[in-house]
Amino acid sequence: MKQLACNECDLLIKIPELVHGYKAICPRCDFVITRFRERFRTKLLALSFSSLVFLALTLMFPFLIFTAQGRERTVYFLQSLKGMGEDTYFIVVLFMIITTIVVPVALMVGISFVVVSSRLSIGLPTSRRILKLIFQLQAWNMAEIFLLGILVSMVKIASLASVEFGWSFVAFVLYIATMAAMRIYMDKYQLWRIVSPTREAR
Amino acid sequence: MESRNYITACSKDLKACSTCLHLCKTKQFHCHICGSKIDSNNRHGIQTTIALLITALVLYIPSNLYPIMYTTYLGETSSNTILGGVITLWEHGSYPIAVVIFVASVLVPVVKIIALGWLSYSVHTKRILYFKNNHRMFRLTEFIGRWSMVDIFVVAILVALIQMGNVMRIMPGEASIAFAAMVVTTMLAAHYFDPRLIWEKLDQSEEPRVYE
Repeated sequence: MKQLACNECDLLIKIPELVHGYKAICPRCDFVITRFRERFRTKLLALSFSSLVFLALTLMFPFLIFTAQGRERTVYFLQSLKGMGEDTYFIVVLFMIITTIVVPVALMVGISFVVVSSRLSIGLPTSRRILKLIFQLQAWNMAEIFLLGILVSMVKIASLASVEFGWSFVAFVLYIATMAAMRIYMDKYQLWRIVSPTREAR
Repeated sequence: MESRNYITACSKDLKACSTCLHLCKTKQFHCHICGSKIDSNNRHGIQTTIALLITALVLYIPSNLYPIMYTTYLGETSSNTILGGVITLWEHGSYPIAVVIFVASVLVPVVKIIALGWLSYSVHTKRILYFKNNHRMFRLTEFIGRWSMVDIFVVAILVALIQMGNVMRIMPGEASIAFAAMVVTTMLAAHYFDPRLIWEKLDQSEEPRVYE
């Protein structure tokens, strides 16, 4: 049993040791404090690695192929983000690149580092710094919103032209899927436990 | 259920670190585990929240008045505002997409600003009555906020795809910057609001209280 306070309503709670699939909920505000899943470290490592691979594939192949009035235009993933140009809308382009590529990559590399270092019990102070950054960045991961954006724009231009999905698009969908799966295992309480100083002393 | 059965961290001069959940003393400046700042006064965030909400409200005006994109079709250029785009979609019969864009770009930002404003006001005047419902409302605003960004991504994709000189071409509009900035400010406003404040009055009241 470890004593904690609910991060959302400040209630003092004792958290028991959980078994696979169980979660601890705040009795007052229903905030899910932690969810325990067996071998979450291995799963996180596997998912973050595959996400990185899918992202690399997304960047390599044609993303969308646009045909209208006999003309064809192939757009790569990065092009679709940079389309707004580099002068006036530079800030918007920068924001989109950060939220769909930079932040997710930082999250995945960071998580891999934390998991590996906790397995080998080395570099835990660095892990703590990285984990802090990970939880600060998490809200700014907007890759899945980009996917919704693609679907909406496909409908918008359906009457004007035909759009084909390139191989990159398949990789992009898988990139979003692995990232969504990763989110299930990103548990604050469990992750901080594996890098805490008491563990170091053991 | 009575409030007396519940003991809060605040009453024991403790506070959970919001980064790593470690239980810290309120006297501490930094969390021993992760080094994050421990602010003993939850109310400090409200001013930031209100300031950011006002910024968002100001940004909401240009983001709806200026065009979000310019469409050139066979040499003729026309401009589209966010609401104009929704109306065009509706007229063309793509109702689901029109609804998605309307909800994400017009409704959600307004509802979010009103909800957070209301929460800040009622926390400030300690008028909160429905703790659980207010907390639920806060969680919802925090969750849906970032989905407003979808319109910016749509514009970016359309601009990248449709570049055929004077035949057909889409250019971004000024509103896209204002709109993106507004979404970011509302996200930050929600971030700085501490939901513990919603429960504060309940914790301070002497008489036992029933939830909901």
